[in-house]
Amino acid sequence: MASQTLQKVDHSALKTNQIMIISLNILAFIFNLPILAAFVALVMGIGSALKIPGFGFVYENLLKPRSWMKPDVLDDNPEPHRFSQILGFLFMAGGSAALFFGSTVLGWSLVWLVVALAALNAFGGFCVGCAVYYWLARFKLPGFTKQPPAGTFPGMKPKVREGV
Amino acid sequence: MSSEILLRFGLALGIIVLGVLAYRFINRRMLIRAQNNAPSLFGKSPDKPMIVYFTTPDCIPCKTIQRPALDQIRTLLGGNLRMIEIDAYEQPDLAQRWGVMSVPTTFLLDSRGRARYVNNGVARVDKLMEQLKAL
Repeated sequence: MASQTLQKVDHSALKTNQIMIISLNILAFIFNLPILAAFVALVMGIGSALKIPGFGFVYENLLKPRSWMKPDVLDDNPEPHRFSQILGFLFMAGGSAALFFGSTVLGWSLVWLVVALAALNAFGGFCVGCAVYYWLARFKLPGFTKQPPAGTFPGMKPKVREGV
Repeated sequence: MSSEILLRFGLALGIIVLGVLAYRFINRRMLIRAQNNAPSLFGKSPDKPMIVYFTTPDCIPCKTIQRPALDQIRTLLGGNLRMIEIDAYEQPDLAQRWGVMSVPTTFLLDSRGRARYVNNGVARVDKLMEQLKAL
């Protein structure tokens, strides 16, 4: 495996982002609020543009300062997580558009797909979008240059903590 | 309106429960795969609890955390435990048959060779001891 420079990635910020996406989307479904799903899509889109977790501000400004959630800094590649958020944004944008145009089954299916993928990442430690990124990197697609951290299955959460 | 919300709440709950069941099912299948493949490692029965440890030479947490933890367990339990270490690079087919997705991965088998626990990622001494006690 080729050596590469990993960066410090705070997985608590990613997890907060995922839990916010899950919670808000489920609330949007229960209360039949396509506007809330669209809001989630918008935040994910802004996060993708700024290269940060969309709901990371909740972690940075609320959870972290009050020590309600501790940092979980791992040596990792941020790029696959960004790609994963872009994928999530596209699904959410498509889902929201479908809801506004009256395709409720398609719309909520896409929203639930994002919920399922975010839950798999938050609770199972497996990032499907990251796995897709690494898969595309294997085919040397332009822009997909990173390899999974050593000893980590593509998409799984790395186990190497800061300073280890 | 409220009945619609209740219905949607029920639907959401159902989808979540289904998701949780699917996740548990996958974990259970991983243990079954381990159990089906275990006899190829030790024959009919190991006669004592066993840890099957999947690693790779470039796995840093394996060297810094998992290996010392397993050494400690071996020191504590001595001859009452069997331990098999498998290099997933050298034996990729075996790793695939056991459903190993990342290293380190440790499987705990009881003395009858039944796979009882799987730890995806680092498992520390206290966790392994707890699982070994429950075998």
